[in-house]
Amino acid sequence: MEEKAFWSKAKVAVIGAGNFGTVLASLVSKNCLQVRLLSRSEEQARAINSTRLNPSYMTKLSLAQNITAFSEPERVFEGGVQAVIWALPSQVCRQEAKVLAPYFGGDEILIHTVKGVEEGSLKRISVLLREEIPCPRIGVISGPNLAEEIGRGEPAATVVASDFEEVVAAGQALLTGDYFRVYPGHDVIGVEWAGALKNILAIAAGAVESLQLGWNARALLITRGLAEMVRFGMAMGAKEETFLGLSGVGDLLATCSSPLSRNYRTGLRLAKGESLDSILQALGSVAEGVKTTRSVREFAHAHGIDMPVTEGVYHLLEGKLSLQEIIQLLMTRPTARP
Amino acid sequence: MGKCPASTSDPAVRFEHLPLISGPLGHLNAQRPRIMADVIRRTLQDFESGPLDLVLGESLYQERQRLKREQINLFTRGRHKADQRLWSEIQTGLLQSSVSVDRKGLLKQVTRHYADEIAGRFNPEIYKVATHAVPFAFSWFLNAASVRRFLPWGLSESLATRLSIVGEVSHLQKLAQKGTILLVPTHQSNLDSVLIGYVIYLMSLPPFAYGAGLNLFSNPVLSFFMGNLGAYTVDRKKSNAIYKQTLKNYSTTILREGIHSIFFPGGGRSRSGAIERRLKLGLLGTALDAQIEKLRNGSDKPNVYVVPMVMSYHFVLEAASLIEDFLAESGKHRFIITDDESWQSAKVLNFFWKLFSSQSGIVVRIGMPMDVFGNPVDENGASMGPNGTTIDPRKWLTTRGELRADAARDHEYTRELGERIAERFHRDNTVMTSHVVAFAFFELLRSRYPELDLYRFLRLSAEQRTLQLEGFLAYAQQVHAKLLQMEAQGELYLSQELHAADLRAWVDDGIKQLGVIHDAAVVKVAEDSVWTEDMNLLYYYRNRLTGYGGLKKTMGNCGRKGFLE
Repeated sequence: MEEKAFWSKAKVAVIGAGNFGTVLASLVSKNCLQVRLLSRSEEQARAINSTRLNPSYMTKLSLAQNITAFSEPERVFEGGVQAVIWALPSQVCRQEAKVLAPYFGGDEILIHTVKGVEEGSLKRISVLLREEIPCPRIGVISGPNLAEEIGRGEPAATVVASDFEEVVAAGQALLTGDYFRVYPGHDVIGVEWAGALKNILAIAAGAVESLQLGWNARALLITRGLAEMVRFGMAMGAKEETFLGLSGVGDLLATCSSPLSRNYRTGLRLAKGESLDSILQALGSVAEGVKTTRSVREFAHAHGIDMPVTEGVYHLLEGKLSLQEIIQLLMTRPTARP
Repeated sequence: MGKCPASTSDPAVRFEHLPLISGPLGHLNAQRPRIMADVIRRTLQDFESGPLDLVLGESLYQERQRLKREQINLFTRGRHKADQRLWSEIQTGLLQSSVSVDRKGLLKQVTRHYADEIAGRFNPEIYKVATHAVPFAFSWFLNAASVRRFLPWGLSESLATRLSIVGEVSHLQKLAQKGTILLVPTHQSNLDSVLIGYVIYLMSLPPFAYGAGLNLFSNPVLSFFMGNLGAYTVDRKKSNAIYKQTLKNYSTTILREGIHSIFFPGGGRSRSGAIERRLKLGLLGTALDAQIEKLRNGSDKPNVYVVPMVMSYHFVLEAASLIEDFLAESGKHRFIITDDESWQSAKVLNFFWKLFSSQSGIVVRIGMPMDVFGNPVDENGASMGPNGTTIDPRKWLTTRGELRADAARDHEYTRELGERIAERFHRDNTVMTSHVVAFAFFELLRSRYPELDLYRFLRLSAEQRTLQLEGFLAYAQQVHAKLLQMEAQGELYLSQELHAADLRAWVDDGIKQLGVIHDAAVVKVAEDSVWTEDMNLLYYYRNRLTGYGGLKKTMGNCGRKGFLE
């Protein structure tokens, strides 16, 4: 196959050596010639190159020989790469995109893995990257992809979506593995928004778990939460069916039932009465859902989109209402609007 | 981009006798047979792999339907007959087996017929005569209309105040040396086609090839001039696949030959009066196709530059029939209007008379030039990316390591280009006093009847269409304040008159200019009331400010019901 043959000789940059960046570098390394991993610190890069292990993330995942880590972007883009996988938290995307823009040639395939939107502007990450980087062929991957499980080689699947057919094809060729399936998608808006919105519900799921409310409550939360995700997504131009796929309900189920998710853990600890600041400090890494909740709630209010669960999570984050009070409010809402 | 609010007093191009510039179009006649052969060959190639019987059969059916509906007059009869003859032959051919009649031969026959209809016949001699005749004709109108500017220098001065060409003119002139220009104007009136040729001449650019509606060619005098000025025909009524492909290939071929071109990316004239938001991507994509071919051929000037152009008028000759057509179509009662009303010579004469006697202006703004992807282009012809980067179009056209056409990719690029053009159309629009008066009056009136849908609203009785002058002025001032704010943010431009501090001055100017061509007064004022005599025309002129999100938001309390936005 032409596609596979091309990528087997290609060089791929992975931007960000966090959990997901490291796992993706490992997946991609099996389907291309060389992977260049951009890491934040020189030490981390050196450690990866000498021990074949990332000292801070996915510490048990042994990295193949064709993966090289760098801390300078010049080295990553030297001589050109054919694809770039963008695995950074949403908060730093704008700033990093500005820094990395001059290194792009324009013929790269750029695929991001960010499950979040820009705070305040509510811009999707593919829009943000297009604004900052002179590289038009952009796609997104999203799905129920807990990094630890993929790292252990457990079966999983994802969706690659783009307006450009060749980006989808490249994503499939690069990421498909023995235990990792890649489905094609075209609803970029839907995939990106589903990935961002489910983080809000993950916080809620964590909170519900802390009270040991049982399966009914959890199913109630997920189902009604999905309904408001669809409402919001469609207002943003997404297609409804995307929310029924891997990047929608698939991702939602994984995140809302797994204690591995940072958003879930945030919800869990909030419900136990810990303050948001101390939780975020303790987690050490970002919980995307916290900022998404505020921006989404604001937008939903301004445009009259009904989002009761998001409203509840917002109050939980603000710390002004207790979880009990929020649940009571949600349970006494009228079940149908006139 | 330099702002140029003083649009009517300080045009980038002033009227004077300019030298004629010769360009690649000058050789078009010599190249015509080769270009035709190339267009035919490509079109045959495009259909090669498909089922020819099906393509021909569908086209035959669509053409028969079209010919049945077509209204024939003295000038179109010849073409109509020729079309009928062709399709009879094709039908006869299709009825025989493919062994005795080669389908490829039939396809070639159709393609040749279309290519011949589309292709222009540029004649440099006639171009010379015509470009000199137009200013004389303008002067003549001017003479008759305004005796007090009888002095020769006065004549040219006042013409400059009527037709201002502003915006990125020098940028465009420089790019015309560095690559091939595709000028994409907004389209409101049939007069656009005539005006464009003159605007090109005024900007000291070499003649352009331009795609003009076939209906304009039914007038023999106009047809003679247009054809010889480099116009090629675009017939929006032919919707069959073979015609569309032939037209696209013609446009690609001339752009690839380095001939600067113009076509209206929105298709026909704007029916609603609004600035085009959705563009026809088929023809637009030929810019990208041409650039890919030029890059692959190793051309020394491979770049095609797409330059938006927005023409603003106080009045549109055929406004009444356009809005009627729009309302009929939106109301799902489709019917086809007779297209030629705007070319009744009395009406055209009246238009020019009003244009000059009412001190009315036309503003033509050249927008920021773009590459075939919609990226801005600097004066050296280089594509500019974000964060100070320069874009190499070759890289954007490289797929899996090879510079080549790729249908899916190129369609996506063209979709983005279309969005950028529509965006620029709105940003480069020069709002005139009459547009604001129409908008403010319509919106204020609309807010009084929130329960009516648009169609019932447009049928308000005469008394119901009257507003208190005081309230109207206050509302107009609000709209004006918002527009000034939008101009500061680069969302649109305001004409010089709209920068006057005096509210009554610009409102009165707007009322005076608004649709002055029509029999009915669009907005009229007497003592302390303001009213309209023609709701449809009011709606048409109001729509010029459709599609500005910011404007809609502040004026949000005005009924949303039935708004066709």
